[in-house]
Amino acid sequence: MSWQKKDADASELPLHLDKSMVLQEARIFNATPIMPRKCRILLAKIIYLLYQGETLGTSEATELFFSITKLFQNKDMSLRQMVYLVIKELSTISEDVIMVTSSLMKDMQPTSDVIYRGGAIRALCKITDVSMLPGLERFLKAALVERNAAIASSALMSTFHLFWQAKDLVRRWSNEVQETLHRKPGSGGYFGGSSSSASGTGVNSTVSVNSTMVQYHAMGLLYAMREHDRMAVLKLVQGFTSNSGGSRGFFGGGSGGGVIRNNLAHCLLIRYACRVMDGDVQSNRDLYDLLEGWIRHRSDMVSLEAVRALCGLTNLSDKDLAPAITALQLFIASPKPTVRFAAMRTLNQVATTHPHAVSVCNADIEGLIGDSNRSVATFAITTLLKTGNAESVDRLIKQISGFMGDITSEFKVIVMEAVRALALKFPNKHVTILTFLSNVLRDEGSYETKKVVVDAMFDMVREIPQCKETALSHLCEFIEDCEYHKLSVRILHLLGDEGPQTTSPSIYIRHIYNRVILEKSVVRAAAVNSLTKFAVNVQDSALQSSLRILLRRCLEDRDDEVRDRAMWALRVCDHQEASDKYVKDTSCYDWDALEVKLYQYCSDPLAAQEGAFNITLVPRLSKAFAASMHNKPSGALADEMDASASLPLSHGSGAKTAGRSAGAGDSGSAAAKGASQTGAAGSSSVVQRQEEFAQQLKRIPEFGQFGPLLVSSAQATPLTEAETEYVVQCTKHLFREHVVFQFDCTNTIPDQLLENAFVVMTGAEEAELEEVATVPVAQLVCDQPATTYVAFRKLQVDGTDESALQVLTGTFTTTLKFIVKDCDPTTGEPDGDDGFEDEYVLEDVELSLSDWMQPVYLGEPTKVWAEVGTPNERIETFALSAFDSLQDALDSVCDIMGMLVCDGGAKVPENAVSHTAFLMALYAGQIKTVVRVRLTIAPQTGVMMELGVRSQNALVSDTVMEVVA
Amino acid sequence: MSSVLKSLLNWLRSLFFKEEMELTLVGLQNSGKTTLVNVIASGQFNEDMIPTVGFNMRKVTKGRVTMKLWDIGGQPRFRSMWERYCRGVDAIVFVIDSADHAKFNDARVELQKLLEKPQLANIPLLILGNKNDLPEALTIDQLIDEINLHHINNREVCCYSISAKNQVNIDKTLEWLIKHAGSEK
Repeated sequence: MSWQKKDADASELPLHLDKSMVLQEARIFNATPIMPRKCRILLAKIIYLLYQGETLGTSEATELFFSITKLFQNKDMSLRQMVYLVIKELSTISEDVIMVTSSLMKDMQPTSDVIYRGGAIRALCKITDVSMLPGLERFLKAALVERNAAIASSALMSTFHLFWQAKDLVRRWSNEVQETLHRKPGSGGYFGGSSSSASGTGVNSTVSVNSTMVQYHAMGLLYAMREHDRMAVLKLVQGFTSNSGGSRGFFGGGSGGGVIRNNLAHCLLIRYACRVMDGDVQSNRDLYDLLEGWIRHRSDMVSLEAVRALCGLTNLSDKDLAPAITALQLFIASPKPTVRFAAMRTLNQVATTHPHAVSVCNADIEGLIGDSNRSVATFAITTLLKTGNAESVDRLIKQISGFMGDITSEFKVIVMEAVRALALKFPNKHVTILTFLSNVLRDEGSYETKKVVVDAMFDMVREIPQCKETALSHLCEFIEDCEYHKLSVRILHLLGDEGPQTTSPSIYIRHIYNRVILEKSVVRAAAVNSLTKFAVNVQDSALQSSLRILLRRCLEDRDDEVRDRAMWALRVCDHQEASDKYVKDTSCYDWDALEVKLYQYCSDPLAAQEGAFNITLVPRLSKAFAASMHNKPSGALADEMDASASLPLSHGSGAKTAGRSAGAGDSGSAAAKGASQTGAAGSSSVVQRQEEFAQQLKRIPEFGQFGPLLVSSAQATPLTEAETEYVVQCTKHLFREHVVFQFDCTNTIPDQLLENAFVVMTGAEEAELEEVATVPVAQLVCDQPATTYVAFRKLQVDGTDESALQVLTGTFTTTLKFIVKDCDPTTGEPDGDDGFEDEYVLEDVELSLSDWMQPVYLGEPTKVWAEVGTPNERIETFALSAFDSLQDALDSVCDIMGMLVCDGGAKVPENAVSHTAFLMALYAGQIKTVVRVRLTIAPQTGVMMELGVRSQNALVSDTVMEVVA
Repeated sequence: MSSVLKSLLNWLRSLFFKEEMELTLVGLQNSGKTTLVNVIASGQFNEDMIPTVGFNMRKVTKGRVTMKLWDIGGQPRFRSMWERYCRGVDAIVFVIDSADHAKFNDARVELQKLLEKPQLANIPLLILGNKNDLPEALTIDQLIDEINLHHINNREVCCYSISAKNQVNIDKTLEWLIKHAGSEK
């Protein structure tokens, strides 16, 4: 098979195989007597073709398959092995592959020669289907505990693949797998003979009979079987811990402590341990100690895996992290580039969460900046950027500029992301960073690179006012010679937004107008829009008139769109009202909500007949708010991607819990919207969420008479700890005369089935409520969230609006009651009829003001403040002596209110002595309520707060005031 | 003299060029094909057999002849594949359970279908009525009538009543088979 080696460098294939020619040749399979050598070469050619991506039709494959079956039972070992390989390839294409079952079963018998038994097992499991499995069970079980490692591994791997098709059947083999997992390799015993005969068969038996790889495979399989059973996985991990330090392992006792012989198996074990810990250190100290011990393992790979696992845990104190960091510090000095890379990547990742812990290695990391491996160097730089302090920024930037030319664009993106974070972290260093960024912009670069740089500059313009003008001028320079029109358009948009407020707008106007002359139509149109913004917003009347001249010139443009926009711009400039509405408007639509509404409109065939799409139903957001919404997920996403790339484990479990919580949040359409909901948990999805709740509630007959849903509490309150047997979350819904408590319950115990589950609430009398209905869950199957409701009628409602809007407060003690039945964890079928009643005490549910508030954006705060007006105004001043910072005071006030904090008001600037924030919401989903919080702090008096409440209803104003007081 | 030389040559040839023949065993399920192969190969009768899924191949050397026995599963889903394995063989062996009266009809139909295939024309056919140790087994003449063997006249046909269990007529069968080694090629 020398040809196979030659084409290792695939640039020039020495072999020009033609499919039809090879298929023609396949006739030699039918010849008698069989020519093993020729057949072998031909089989190799077939495999080669298949691996090159050549496809075979079903009839071709079937024909080929049947002629290959003629080769069975040949004495030539290599031919047999080739036959198995080809059959595995054909198993998915050809028909009737089941034909070889009997023959393969014969080949995998313990009586046959060992070399090809593994191959036979693999081929057999590939061609078989689930219905045949019970017939094979006996043989496979025997093969699983086979002493020959090659055969056992084949059986284990085949079983692993079969597991996903026939979980129940394969689970029954776990004893065999367990035995293999803990067996000492080469412990010949009474079967020792078979292994010696294997090594005697000749050159082909390069597979070590004593390979410890089998442990790796067994561990993977066993975990797959027990994946969903945390206790079982824990047992698996602990099975190896009792005497892991010892070099002598007991053999035979399945329950006795095992010895890890294979490094890959050890790595798997570390991962499983990590999964058992579920990322939480504090509750799993013993496992943490285990991981820490494994860091000192003599194999680099195991040690690195342990370090990485340790770093991936949450709730780590710096002290917990210390052993890992020390190990990493040694690793980055390793002569092996792979080890250096792995260690550096882990450090880089830790630096995101624990920059302090990593900073002890800074000196060593700096040595890696010049590493000959560029990937290592890049990670070194980015790590330093994360851990560095203000003083080191200049030096680092200089070093980066040194090698920017040498690295690939993917790495450039990573570096630039780090610089972007750095720019926001050290606003004082904006001069250095801006110069660096503009240099990168000037150099050749891919779209991705430039995009990151431009994003970084945008961030700086937004966040660091001092550098706005410099940054804008750099961007202007960039668009003069920018090959990516997407970026040009974005920059023009930013210039339009920011330019008019600068000291000398005329500089930018020149650059923008250049675009109108020089660029393609997309950019020209964007430039016209940008000019419009200048024309409307610039104060200087001389400049205004020259802008009009420029816009008028645009009327002669070649492109329709550009001309139209110029025309529109000229009109808008002359009308104060129009320009206020279209150009100066600071709000925008909530795009997510708009999308949902439009989708609903389009999918409902009747909607179009009823009338045009009503845009006023879509909530509006302030642009600043939308931008912060937009930025946050992208940043979080980048972090997450970073984490998932290097730590698939923690990410996996994270995603799972996120999925679960989203699922519990609204069982209806959770999967689709889970991500967007958690991402934009703020106001943007409030309306959307409520819509979904309203739909769900409407479907329940008991609640049919309650009328429209006024408001739902903004977030589901968990009533249990996250990792308990039953997870329950509560959401409150308010109707005009009723209150509905929604409990989303999840049963996390696989072998239990809960029936007739409902929640009992006490404390209704104090809250002036009367229970009217309880909707139980008929069946609560493991991991399938279901919802139960309790409904109350408000007693004080007497038909007037005042009574309906009266705020309700109260505390309820809640208990989940149900009938428990044992069930089969895999099928979910209950074992018998005899369940017993049980109950589970939940945390208290509170009704408070914040449940009444629907935090939505109503418009620009000062405008709304003025619009709602003074009739129901209440202003009071409080001394908040309990707080010693403005931020704390503000946070707690916002917390009580449950209202939307407008336009970045939630963040008190550092060292500020006073702060004003506007909070807004719709009370009970309809009454506009605005709260103005003015805070001052003085050393003698502490925090003083002036709280102004305006709303459309006097009662509401009073209530809000009362709650705070 | 020449005859002595010829016999010497034959003897030498038998030493170096063993004759190889291919046989295909077909027949409905549970008619005893795999058992028969085992008996031929090792002389051992095993009552406890599992249905053949697909095919089994055994090589048996009897004297100077090496027989390659293709034993194809008899369940309905494998019957369409009989033909593939019958192409180009030296003889087709069709095994019938002579004690299972309910299946004679099926057996006749399947045999007819197989023999109609143009690719299999002229290949000698051996019908074996197996299990003649059972009390309700048909005699050889009854079997020939039941399967309509008289109507097959385009090839060499032979029919024996055998018992794999008691090794009745196995020697005759082998004799017939060895006689046909390479004869048609």
